[in-house]
Amino acid sequence: MRSSEVRLDRLCKEYNRTVAVDDVSLTIEPGHMVALLGPSGCGKTTCLRMIAGLIRPTSGDVFVNDKRMTDVPVHRRNVGMLFQNYALFPHLTVEENIAFGLEMRGISKADAARKVGEALNLVQLSSFGKRYPAQLSGGQQQRVALGRALVIEPAMLLLDEPLGALDKGLRESMQVELRALQRRLGLTTIMVTHDQDEALTMADKIVVMRDGKLEQVGSATEIYQRPTSKFVAKFIGASNLFEGLVEQRNGSGAVIRVSPELSLQVDQISPSANDVMVSIRPEAIVVEKVGQNPAAQRANSVMARVDQAIYRGFVSHYYLKTPSGGQIVVFEQNQSQQAGLRYAVGEEVVARWETPSNHVIARH
Amino acid sequence: MDERFSGFGAFILYTITAGMMLFILAPLLLVMAVSVSDSYFVTFPPQGFTLKWYAKVLQDRDFLEAMRLSILLALGTTAGSLLLGVPAAFALVRGNFFGLAAIKGFLLSPLIFPALITGLALLQVLTKLGSQDARLNLLIGHVVVTSPYVIRTVVTSLQLVDENLEDAARTLGANRLTTFWRVTLPQIASGVAAGGLFAFMVSFDNYPVTMWLANSEYSPVPLVLMRQLVNVFDPSVPAMSTIIILMAMVGVLLLEKLVGLRRALAA
Repeated sequence: MRSSEVRLDRLCKEYNRTVAVDDVSLTIEPGHMVALLGPSGCGKTTCLRMIAGLIRPTSGDVFVNDKRMTDVPVHRRNVGMLFQNYALFPHLTVEENIAFGLEMRGISKADAARKVGEALNLVQLSSFGKRYPAQLSGGQQQRVALGRALVIEPAMLLLDEPLGALDKGLRESMQVELRALQRRLGLTTIMVTHDQDEALTMADKIVVMRDGKLEQVGSATEIYQRPTSKFVAKFIGASNLFEGLVEQRNGSGAVIRVSPELSLQVDQISPSANDVMVSIRPEAIVVEKVGQNPAAQRANSVMARVDQAIYRGFVSHYYLKTPSGGQIVVFEQNQSQQAGLRYAVGEEVVARWETPSNHVIARH
Repeated sequence: MDERFSGFGAFILYTITAGMMLFILAPLLLVMAVSVSDSYFVTFPPQGFTLKWYAKVLQDRDFLEAMRLSILLALGTTAGSLLLGVPAAFALVRGNFFGLAAIKGFLLSPLIFPALITGLALLQVLTKLGSQDARLNLLIGHVVVTSPYVIRTVVTSLQLVDENLEDAARTLGANRLTTFWRVTLPQIASGVAAGGLFAFMVSFDNYPVTMWLANSEYSPVPLVLMRQLVNVFDPSVPAMSTIIILMAMVGVLLLEKLVGLRRALAA
């Protein structure tokens, strides 16, 4: 299957003077899987539909392999698309659904039948060809939709919240399966999701969108470990965010004073930054009993009281309150032999973490 | 509602339902009964039994000519109102343009305007335009009166069609027209059929608009029936009526067989 490069060049879409997509430029390398991630109304679906050709941009262009596609109507673009509600034709059987795109391309009945058989094999539904969509489960329906989208050998695959309607377990196994298939076919894929886990699981590159604009573009690791804004830090995973002032510079780093009882050591900080925000992931924080660590007044360490403790199977969540009223969220992995929570509500503890876990975010 | 009514509630419900049915159907049954009366005037209860009035009606050239005209007119009206109404409904549901709500209200307006006024207004307009052909005028008038029925039923069934189905078809390589024929139309078939049947029936027994637009040469069934009623009120009038009632029943049953009436009207 061909792999296409998709390039968005200053894409904009306005609806009655409301800007849905605002100056989005993005290059998607051939064979990559990219996730457009953001809350509802951030313009991610509008973006995807402009790539498909279902919506006409107000300005800007879509290029596929450097060919300008903006004026090519959707039915000539050769895109495979999956919808959240599957969008299978209810009056056609599974086979007829899959054959639809082949028929539109004028492929002979015999060739079409062979390709439909192959597609059914690919999505593991060989014995379901004669059924109607209403007779299938949600997961099976989405497989049919996938077969229908792939059988036309599309230049790219577009996924619009494809697994949103499935329950958690099935969704997770479909994510892995879909990702494996996409890799095997080397098919350029763009998906839209509001589910950060889905984006982290499936995508080579994550594009975080907010209010129609690109907020941050990067790999899962980059986005998770080095968010460039408060929005990204809060949207992807949980984050402890501290605002503070630079107290003392040491080399390229600095000590940042957050509150009387808490200071943070950071390794990298721009020389001009003074008023900063620091993000620390909840799983980077270690909780210890008081007295175990006598040097409690060091940086990256604070005395706190357990405000809430939640046991969640492989992980425990602790919500800590510092004396000055700040909240710290800690995720602690549970050991298999461990008997429930390690700390009780109301217990005085020390929270500490390593310097590399402190990530400075530019303040806007 | 899954629970079945039982006991006293059920008794009340069935009694009221039966009463309503009787209230609606009794006049029709009365008409059917007197149509076989062996007397020269319409009397109730009917005297004896005869089919001679049907024989008379079916040999009455005026009536047969009117039937032919009315059926052709109703068929033409159905085709015309579908051709206008289905695309109009599509635009109303899928479109996004300035004044959409106002146009929607306007297109459905003959349902609230008195037909008598609509007919008079049409007559004036058509006369001004110099349209002399009564058959054409009737067709135009009936299409105006019936297309709102088509628009209404098609709009309601279109609203239930998932737009993503159309988008999916288009990404698979179907242009808009093919998408409509292959994907949208099968989903709204019941609504289109119901709208068409409404158009046919409304056209077939329309009096108030027809009255203005017909002439002595081209008189559809309702006018002939009325004329007959005024001249000699013999059981041939109920016989004509019975034939029309039976036609309506056949139409409804046909729709039920083809697409399921409940499905068509639930739309």
